[in-house]
Order: sequence, then C-alpha cells, then structure tokens
Amino acid sequence: MKPILCIIPILLLVNQLFAQNNPQISGSLETNANFFIRDSTIGAANTPQYDRQLYGGEAWLNLAYSNWGFDFILRFDLFNNSNLLNPTGSYSDEGIGRWFINKKINKLGISAGYIYDQIGSGIIFRAYEERPLLIDNALYGLRLSYDLAPDWQIKAFTGRQKQQFDTYNSIIKGLNIEGFLTLGDSTGGVALAPGFGILNRTLDDNSMNSLVATLNTYPKDDIFEPKYNAYAFSLYNTLTAGPVSWYLEAAYKTKDPINTGIIIQEPGSVLYSSISYAKSGLGITLEAKRTENFTFRTRPQAQANQGFVNFLPPMARVNTYRLPSRYNAATQELGELAFQADIRYLYNKDWTFNINVSNITNLDDELLYREIYTEIGYKYKREWSILGGVQFQNYNQEVYEFKPGVPNVQTVTPFAEFLYKFDRTKALRIEAQAMFTGEDKSVELRQDYGSWLFGLAEFSIAPHWTFTASDMYNVKAGRNSPVNENGEKLNIHYPRFDIYYTYRSNRFSLSYVKQVEGVVCAGGICRLEPAFSGVKMTVNSTF
Amino acid sequence: MKKLIILFLAVCSLWLLSCEEIPPVINPIDPNPGGGEVQRNVLVEEYTGVRCVNCPAGSEALQALINIYGERLVVVSFHAGFFAPPYSESKFDLRTADGDNLLNFLGSPLGYPAAVVNRKLFDSEPRLQLGQGQWPGYIAQEIAIAPKVKVELQRNYNDANRQLNLTVNLEILETLDATDVRLSVALTEDDIEDVQLTPTGKQADYKHKHVLRDMLSNFDGNPLTESLSVGAKIAKNFTYTIPADWNADKCKLVAFVHIGGDKKDVLQVAQVKVIQ
Repeated sequence: MKPILCIIPILLLVNQLFAQNNPQISGSLETNANFFIRDSTIGAANTPQYDRQLYGGEAWLNLAYSNWGFDFILRFDLFNNSNLLNPTGSYSDEGIGRWFINKKINKLGISAGYIYDQIGSGIIFRAYEERPLLIDNALYGLRLSYDLAPDWQIKAFTGRQKQQFDTYNSIIKGLNIEGFLTLGDSTGGVALAPGFGILNRTLDDNSMNSLVATLNTYPKDDIFEPKYNAYAFSLYNTLTAGPVSWYLEAAYKTKDPINTGIIIQEPGSVLYSSISYAKSGLGITLEAKRTENFTFRTRPQAQANQGFVNFLPPMARVNTYRLPSRYNAATQELGELAFQADIRYLYNKDWTFNINVSNITNLDDELLYREIYTEIGYKYKREWSILGGVQFQNYNQEVYEFKPGVPNVQTVTPFAEFLYKFDRTKALRIEAQAMFTGEDKSVELRQDYGSWLFGLAEFSIAPHWTFTASDMYNVKAGRNSPVNENGEKLNIHYPRFDIYYTYRSNRFSLSYVKQVEGVVCAGGICRLEPAFSGVKMTVNSTF
Repeated sequence: MKKLIILFLAVCSLWLLSCEEIPPVINPIDPNPGGGEVQRNVLVEEYTGVRCVNCPAGSEALQALINIYGERLVVVSFHAGFFAPPYSESKFDLRTADGDNLLNFLGSPLGYPAAVVNRKLFDSEPRLQLGQGQWPGYIAQEIAIAPKVKVELQRNYNDANRQLNLTVNLEILETLDATDVRLSVALTEDDIEDVQLTPTGKQADYKHKHVLRDMLSNFDGNPLTESLSVGAKIAKNFTYTIPADWNADKCKLVAFVHIGGDKKDVLQVAQVKVIQ
C-alpha cells in the first residue's frame, strides 16, 4: 500500500501545472483513546488491555481533495492495542486505510481504490463502514458507471473485499442498473425508481481447498460438491404516489456454501418491503422481511462480523435511550420473518406521539424478538419539554447472544426525559428510566442481569460545554449479575461522567465509564461486548 | 439507450451461461491411512475456559476429530483469558502462567471456542486463531503434508517419588533452513473433574480434557542449536516431578518442534502417556 504515498507528490506537482483550477480540500479526524481500569467484579478483566497494556486507541484521518474533475480520498487508520476488532483481544496496526479516485468523463464515471457502494438496499451487495464495530467492507477494485439517460444509470464493478490492511482473496463483481420514471403528469402522478442488480462471488483456491478439506471429514450424507461461484440477483422498486411511498425488493442467491455450525450448501432468498405514508403530521411506516439462508460472505470460513458481502436491513426500532437500547435484535441471516410498524403523529407544534411495534420470528415460528414502544412528547413554548413512554420487549437471548439454555428476556421499561432551558445558552436535560425483567424460573432469579434503574443529568452551556453524569443501577440482580466471594448476587452501580467541549468544528470529550456487558449494534449488525471500566477520550474534527 | 439495455441484458445472459463449473474433488478421509514410516501429526492448541458456555461443544468437536485421526491429532487445551477465571465453587484453578504466556504469544481469539492448528497462519486467514467450523479443514490440510522431522518420546516415570524423566529424540528428515527452530514440551492432564459452564448451567462433574498443566520447556520453546541438516539426530532430556494432586495416570507428554520468531509453524508433534 506504500506506493500510494507516491500519489501525494504527484498531486502537488499536477496542482502546480493546473493552478488555475479551483481545488477543494476537506477532511475529518476521529480519535478514541481508552484507559483501562481493571474491575474483576463486573468482568472488566482478563483482556490484554486490563492485564498489562492499560491503554488502547484508534484514529482515522480522512482527506478529500477535488480538482480538475477528479475526486481524491486518502485515509490514514491507526489502531494501538485496540479492542474494537476483537472486544476480548488486542489489535495494533496502522497505515493507509483507504484511497479512492473518481473521475467523470462525460457520461462515463470511473472510480478506483477502496469503494463504498451498494445495490438496492444492500441485500445482495453493500460495501460499507461501521467504525463502532470495526467493520470496513470496502471493495478494493474498479467501478465504472454510465449515464444511459438523465434518470438512468448502469454501473459495473469488480474487486476484492478489504480485510483490515489487506484484502480477502475471493473476487466480487457486480452489475446494477437503476433509474427513475414518472407516470402521468410530473406534479401529481406516480413515480417509479426501479433497479436490478447481479452479484457474483468467486471463491479463491485457498478457501476452496480448506472447504474441501473440511468436507472430507464429514459423513457421506453431509458431503456436497461445493460451488466456487455464487450469484445473487435483486429486483427492486420504489413507487411514490402522493404521500405514499412503497419499496419492494426481492433477492435470490444461488447455492453457496454457508456455515451453520456445519457447512451446508443451499440457495437463499430475501423478500423485503416497506410502505410509508406521510401527510398532515401523520407518518406511518410498515415493513416486512422474510429471509432464508442469506448468509453471503467473501468466504464461508469468515467468522463473526467478518467478510459480509451484503447487508440485511434491521427490522426493529433503533433505540437511543440507555435502558430501552440494552437488548437489540441483530439481523438473522439464516432464517427470519420480521414485521415492523411505526406510527408518528404530530398533533400540533406542542404534542407528538410515536408507537412502534416489531415482531421477529424464525422460519419455524419461534419468537426471536418482540417490541412495543410508545412515546409521547410535549413542548411548552421554548422553555421546557417533556417526553415519556414505555417499552415492552421479549428478547431471545439464546439466539442473539449465543447463550444456550437461557429463557427469553422479558422487559417492561418506562422512561422519561425532561429538558429545561434556563436561557438561550444554558439548559438542563434529565433522563429517568427503569427496566423490570421477568423471572427465570429455572434459577428463581430475574432473567439475565435482572432489573435496572437509570438516571442521567446533562447540563449544557452552548455553544461550548456539556457536562453529563449518569448511573445505571442493578436494583434487582439477575441470573447473570456478578457475585461476591460468597457467591451472593451483587447490586452494582455503573456510573458514567462526561465532559464535552466543542469549539467550532472541533469536539473533545473526556469520560469516566463503568459499563455493564451488553450487545452493541450498529446498523443492525451486533456483537456482545464485555463490561468496560476506565476512562475514554475522544477528539473529533472536521475541516 | 435501448442498445445499452440490450448490452446489459446480454452481459447478464453471458453470466448465466457461464454458470457451469468443474467442481473440486471430494475424497473423504480414510481414518486409518497407510503411507510411509513417518507420518505428519498435527497439533491443535485449544483456547478454553470454565466460564465459556460454548467450549464443551468445541471439546466434543475435537474429540470427534480425534476419533477420525487417532494419535495423529494431538490436542493441548489451555485455560486462559476472559473465560478462564474459576468460579467460587471450582475445585481447581486450571489457569497456568504458561497458558497466559501462550495466550499472549499466540494472540487472543475473536471468540471461544477457538484453536490454533499447527500455529500456522493459513492463507486468507487474518489470524492464527480459528473458529470451530474451520478446524477440520485445516487439520486435514496439515496432516497431508510430509513431515520434516521425526519426534519420538521415551519416558521413565517413578511412581514413588513421582519423578519423570523424558528423552525427546529428534531425527531431521529434511534440512531445516529456518534459523530459529525450537522444541516445546508440554504436560497435559485428561479428565479433570471440575465445574464448567454448559448450555444447561454449571456442571460440577464436567471432565476437562487435554488440560495444559505445565511446560517442561520454555513456554515459547527451547532453541535447537544443533545442526538441522537431513539425517541429524538430536536427543533432549527433561526431568519433572508431577505434583501430588495431579493424576499421573491421566497425564500425557506432548513434544513438538516448531519455528521461532514471527512465524511459529509447528513441524511435527508427538504425544505419549506418562504411564502406559
């Protein structure tokens, strides 16, 4: 990757030659620094950071430069004893994490380097980045696009998927055509945005050899002839008619080796639809998705969140409050039948209402996740506002957290938020939440970690300072709550204190955090994170 | 535009037409292979812990592979890392200083159960640690490679004073070019009955297998300073006193020759029971 560094002096030279152009440069910096303070009681221990490294951090510096019709992007990534890739391990490396060049020549677009892109909603292909989980599935290759008509575009791409500072060896190539057309007159008619995509992944020889060696150990009945090539097809359309918008996508994947514990080879399919209505303060969204054997990876041996070629949209509400967001439904690629309804109503400029219901089962009708979320908000002039609601969840912990034998976690979580503005710069925000969990009758204890109380106070002095103090208290310990030396369950406080300072486009934060084990999700991709104890610092900047 | 759409459809059709491919050859493994006098054995180092709910399944998977390969598959399970601290009701702390050192030396896995096969970084793998579904393939791949070293173990155990004398005899079958070649010797114990977290809860009488008890060599091996040209024969001696609370009947000695430094590949491994 070092030869890419040669690009910089070349760019400078070319810039001199074409100095009459209007160059634009922009960038962003994101840094995290974690200082680990061992706390064996809550399970913040026995990782390299807690045992000996004591510090871990990450940084991304992104530079974008545009000139002469070209777009250049260069990103430096750094990981020092980072636990982002593996929450119980340590990862150190640094280098050019991304370079990208794009040029439009009349109707032809040419892109090379590390490409982020997707087909449709990403069901058959999505090259993307989720830094909180250190997912960086950029396609390292070439993309060509061509404007067939003002509203129609075709694109083709080929490459290999990024794997930290390397690439996987399997080849990915795809073709996508999409457009936009209106029926009837342009003001009140119906608009369509159809698209069709094909994706092909060809396994590399090493992956296939390893797969064959695995199959050689299987009983005869479980052996199959593995395919090098998997093809995925997707047909999608967005129909817009007045206040109604309807998205429909159907995807099919040919036989492909997938890891279900043992490796099998099955075709897969996804049917996804979303219909929304928005008018006069009322917004309704209904979604449904059926998934069967749609694990699609660069190689079947890839583990955890590694090597995903595609992205399946999550089908549960993305909660932001601390306790309502404790249990998340990660997308199940092997089999899922999911429905979600979201209704928002703005009664007037003071009152808002929101109801969200989601229900997810596997294809055998076993419940994986159910959530009912209600929220009412009231705003009094510009002085204060209050928001409150209650959430009900039924969460299949056995499936989502790979904890065999545990019962579904059932929760009832009332929550409230109060915001008071003292004047134009000073404001106080208070959150109060309680989570009541059901009983695990097999151990006569509350499910998982039991019941919780959470309180938060945030005082902000615009535009620079924000101070936050919060505590999450395990008021009724559950089956998995920590124990003392005598084996007695502990009721532990998990406090957190933050200071944020913002100066123009620079933001600094310093936090003391004691955090319980839990599932962390980003865009429907989730993983179980161990407890954290320590100090976090961040510096973010855009320029 | 119509021409381009036709071109698009034509490309799609070409893709579909080229769907036929010649599949790879599948040769189910013969559990009792013949072959030459000296065969390659494979070392699997398993990361485990009493708090790892999925590790019993990993242990079962390894046992299934041992049932296929017999003595050609040697397993060492070390209790270390996030899931290894004992419960208050545990009889033993199965962690060892050498296990912790090996965790640091080989690196932490993404999740448990995980194992390192012959300490080899396989093509397309980002790390040495492999998930359960990957073990059979890489073991099969490694076991098919001709050995470069022959390893034989001769031991003498005195039950009265529990002293163990071990001689590891090495014969170089193919000149080793690596500048840093090492010999590691581990002592393992089978069927240690103690608490283990399982899918049905804590099981007090769980039998832990292949548990690393101690290293007779340095945790990262003792350097072999002798000539490693083809035909060279080397003998290394070790003595060890087995602690009274270990069951010598269930103990095994594992010796393996491996490369030192960044590349850690195991060249050959052999295993013998302390008491035959």
